[in-house]
Amino acid sequence: MTAAISLHALTKRYRAFTAVDDITLDIEPGSICGLLGPNGAGKTTTFKCLLGFTRPTSGTVAIGGKPISPETFESLGYVPERAILWDSLTVGEHLAAYRRLYRSYDDGRARELLEQFSLDPSKAASKLSKGMRSALALTLAFSIRPQVLILDEPSSGLDPIHQRQVLDLMIDAAANGATVLFSSHNVGQVERAADRVAILNRGRLIVNRTIDELKSGEKIIEAVFADAPPNLNGLADDPRILRIESVGTTLRAVTRGDSDEIAQRIFALRPKSIRTIDLNLEDIFLNAVAGDQRS
Amino acid sequence: MPAVYTVDPRSGVPLYLQLIEQITRAVALGSLAPGEQLPTVKALALDLTINPNTVARVYRELERDGLIETSPGRGSFVRGNGSAGEARRAVADIALEALDRGIRDAKSLGLARGDVEELFARSIARWYPTEENA
Repeated sequence: MTAAISLHALTKRYRAFTAVDDITLDIEPGSICGLLGPNGAGKTTTFKCLLGFTRPTSGTVAIGGKPISPETFESLGYVPERAILWDSLTVGEHLAAYRRLYRSYDDGRARELLEQFSLDPSKAASKLSKGMRSALALTLAFSIRPQVLILDEPSSGLDPIHQRQVLDLMIDAAANGATVLFSSHNVGQVERAADRVAILNRGRLIVNRTIDELKSGEKIIEAVFADAPPNLNGLADDPRILRIESVGTTLRAVTRGDSDEIAQRIFALRPKSIRTIDLNLEDIFLNAVAGDQRS
Repeated sequence: MPAVYTVDPRSGVPLYLQLIEQITRAVALGSLAPGEQLPTVKALALDLTINPNTVARVYRELERDGLIETSPGRGSFVRGNGSAGEARRAVADIALEALDRGIRDAKSLGLARGDVEELFARSIARWYPTEENA
């Protein structure tokens, strides 16, 4: 199947600074991919390259299997980091402009979204708060019934109720076959809406997996010993152990794969107690970034 | 009667496993009756605010396990024949996993086998009083 959104060896340099460093990422049609990363990780630059706002230094991007071209924008809904609005037009006039610009514009849908976001059509765009600007940009993005949605922090500035509506919009679009890439600082949103998680750090893609694989895969086994943890008997060489460290009498192992078998191996070292901890996405995210920072 | 599901996205347990467990329970307990229609993938995804591919995966796996059947264009239904038997087996699996975790925790706390057997007997006696057992 051709990926709906595709980045191949994407690199963007600004003089000596490499903002995006050799990123390859394919997003299947109908999938929602959540992009996580600390500030300055390269998320916004990646979006700019994907949307054709800036030219990659090297590598390629494709939407619907094709490089960016005028026709890309026919079925592409996007919200950049700072919503692009016409400050001298009202909210309602934005809709009127979209009706003229996009063949696929759906006025019923747009009005429904205005209502959901409690946006007043007569209000001037220049008078909107940051959150309401995002809401208008989202309304416009979804009003054209897009096949691909690229949303850079779509719910920043929105209250929790409107944030939930943004998730519902993405879920509804994906259920109808659209493909979504969105970034967020809110891990909980990614945990709900996304089926794939991409994590950027220092311009590089350090994690790219389905959320189910991530959650089934990694666990922490913590064992407490009477004295300092004994000789690990080559435990550190087990490929299923990503990281192992001991602090005082406690041994902590980050594992991937069959944690039961590893627990059995650690049992054999005769600890006083041992426990297995499931990791949620926030733990996985923080571990991945911390691990990358050390490397 | 439609069953109500609650999932916890912040848990370390993948959402599809949480949902499979809950639907399996509902079938085993009869709150989802044989022949009853399940919500569409889209409706359940929106209802729970979770990814639609996650719900689709749940339905695929439940179908593979013989609990539900899906006919294109009509939707997904609890299987009429045998679904209760499949569900009982699936529920036994869920229960075994829970017991397994408990016993593993007991071992993890450093208890000896005899201690765990004694605790297990106490727990059984508590939840299955003799009059009910007879």
